Amino acid sequence: MEQHFLADNALGQFLDCLTQYGALHGPTRTSDGVDVFGPIQAGIEGLLLDYRRTLIPPKKYLIPPRQTILNYATATGYTLPTGPAPQLVLFGVHPCDLQGIDYLDRVFMGDRPDQLYRRYRDAITLVGLSCEPDAFCFCASPVKAPHNADLFLQRIEHGFLVSTETSKGKRMLAGLEPLLTKTEAAPPPPVESRMMSRLNDVAVTGRTFPDSPLWESFAARCLSCGACSVCCPTCYCFDVLENGALDEMTADRLREWDNCLFRAHGEVAGGHNFRPTRRERFHYRYLHKYLGFGALAGVPACVGCGRCREVCPVAIDLTELFAEGDDVCA
Amino acid sequence: MSAPELNSVPIPARIQTIRQLTADTSLFRLQLDDDKAFPFIPGQFIQLSVPGGGEVPISPADLPAEDGTMELCVRRFGHVTSLLHQSRVGDRLGIRGPLGNGFPVDEMAGKDVLLLAGGLGIAPLRSLLFHLLRHRSDIRSLTLMYGAREPAVMLFKDELLDLAATGSLRLLLTVDFLSDTGQEEPACNVGLLPTLLKGVRLESSLSCAAVCGPPALYRCTIDELLQAGVAGDDIYLSLERRMKCGVGICCHCAIGQLFCCCDGPVFRYRDIKDIPGAL
Repeated sequence: MEQHFLADNALGQFLDCLTQYGALHGPTRTSDGVDVFGPIQAGIEGLLLDYRRTLIPPKKYLIPPRQTILNYATATGYTLPTGPAPQLVLFGVHPCDLQGIDYLDRVFMGDRPDQLYRRYRDAITLVGLSCEPDAFCFCASPVKAPHNADLFLQRIEHGFLVSTETSKGKRMLAGLEPLLTKTEAAPPPPVESRMMSRLNDVAVTGRTFPDSPLWESFAARCLSCGACSVCCPTCYCFDVLENGALDEMTADRLREWDNCLFRAHGEVAGGHNFRPTRRERFHYRYLHKYLGFGALAGVPACVGCGRCREVCPVAIDLTELFAEGDDVCA
Repeated sequence: MSAPELNSVPIPARIQTIRQLTADTSLFRLQLDDDKAFPFIPGQFIQLSVPGGGEVPISPADLPAEDGTMELCVRRFGHVTSLLHQSRVGDRLGIRGPLGNGFPVDEMAGKDVLLLAGGLGIAPLRSLLFHLLRHRSDIRSLTLMYGAREPAVMLFKDELLDLAATGSLRLLLTVDFLSDTGQEEPACNVGLLPTLLKGVRLESSLSCAAVCGPPALYRCTIDELLQAGVAGDDIYLSLERRMKCGVGICCHCAIGQLFCCCDGPVFRYRDIKDIPGAL
């Protein structure tokens, strides 16, 4: 099948062209050696094309760690914040993170839509990039474009195959035509993820492994640091705060990332805690991540990016539960 | 009715009256700015905004009023409720809702209805009580069992005794212990709420119970209710969780895979009895 090919030496121009759709952000390395999504100012310079994963996933562009959701003033009462979201092109998003964004879309643009989320989401153009999996990750398809990729670049020898899954991408592709050539190169074969099929099985069957000794082992080691949740591309649970100004005339209501591993997450007024132990908080995380809550029950939220397995300071890996499940079945 | 948006703007309201009920609990009557009726089902909740403080989920303690007033019975507990208790008549508040499912009032028709309230749990059940009294001929009998820590913190006592005096309601009150002053409370049992259920027998097919109170109340009354003959399907529990968004997104209030804020806060016992940590 004939496909669009972008040669390595045309990538710089390609990136320049993308800036007409918004400020270019992509994977880059900070001065202290952390891989992050950030602004790419000097074209191809500073862009990490062969990165494994950023520390914080691109969810930060859609649900900022702290965001004003309402303004209050005595004269006007509560009002929604106005102003457009910044137009962004997110370049180099791996398939796992594209899947993560797809999950967030289902949460925040489903049956309880959030205007703020939509405003940010509509202002973002997604340019995906295929990835080389490492020992931490197990996504469904590191080389195939998820349906939400406006453009998707698949690494092949001397360049990239460029495809699109959206109508916006088709229009973009037409404009980028001069930089592309046609090729008959075959796309890389699909990769099968055994772990991902286990996750899907668990979501369908609703297994929770209640008798596994691993729960106690996890709870005994966990530091409740919450790193696994902060770095998760589909962890979105949030706290709502309100800061009144000293003049007592105005206030801002804020939404900020919360963390189900924190003790206060299950507390109610008066101090009763519905999840006082780490074990209970792990169960909560497990239920949400692998079985799904509410309207998304049965939809696994894990996209296999491997971040939580990499960052956990005490090497807790919830997917060990599934491996154990295999042994039981065997 | 379409599902609410995640981040909707609170409807403006003002405090019309404040009636102090106990040292830490007051009944706030709100007037919505638009004077329009705010329809809700007893057991549903609203998110009450106190400007500069934030939001707190509260179930109204009365019935929807044509003139856009609403009664909220609030204990001074945390940051937002403390700020509310410092507020004065005329101060501005905000309301989002109604949220959640409420009690299945239609299912109570023709039945012996038992209301079990512990402490501040009387607030949403007062709303349900008013509804049932308004439609009293639709149900077979109406009993309210209400337990408070001590006589001084029993809410709405005079009002409840007046209602019981009309004969349309059987009222059983209990306190965990008597006050240090040793003042005797007439017509009031001493003992935990479940003691009122001892020896009670109800017809399974004709009875239902609505329960609201502190977390410990559910654990210690369910068995008594089942023994009294109420079916697990007909025990309605109004559960408390830390509801932040109120529409099933923020993920603080999950009970198993259900959300307290939108699948509840009223659950049938049968539907949650096997969910670890539900009660």
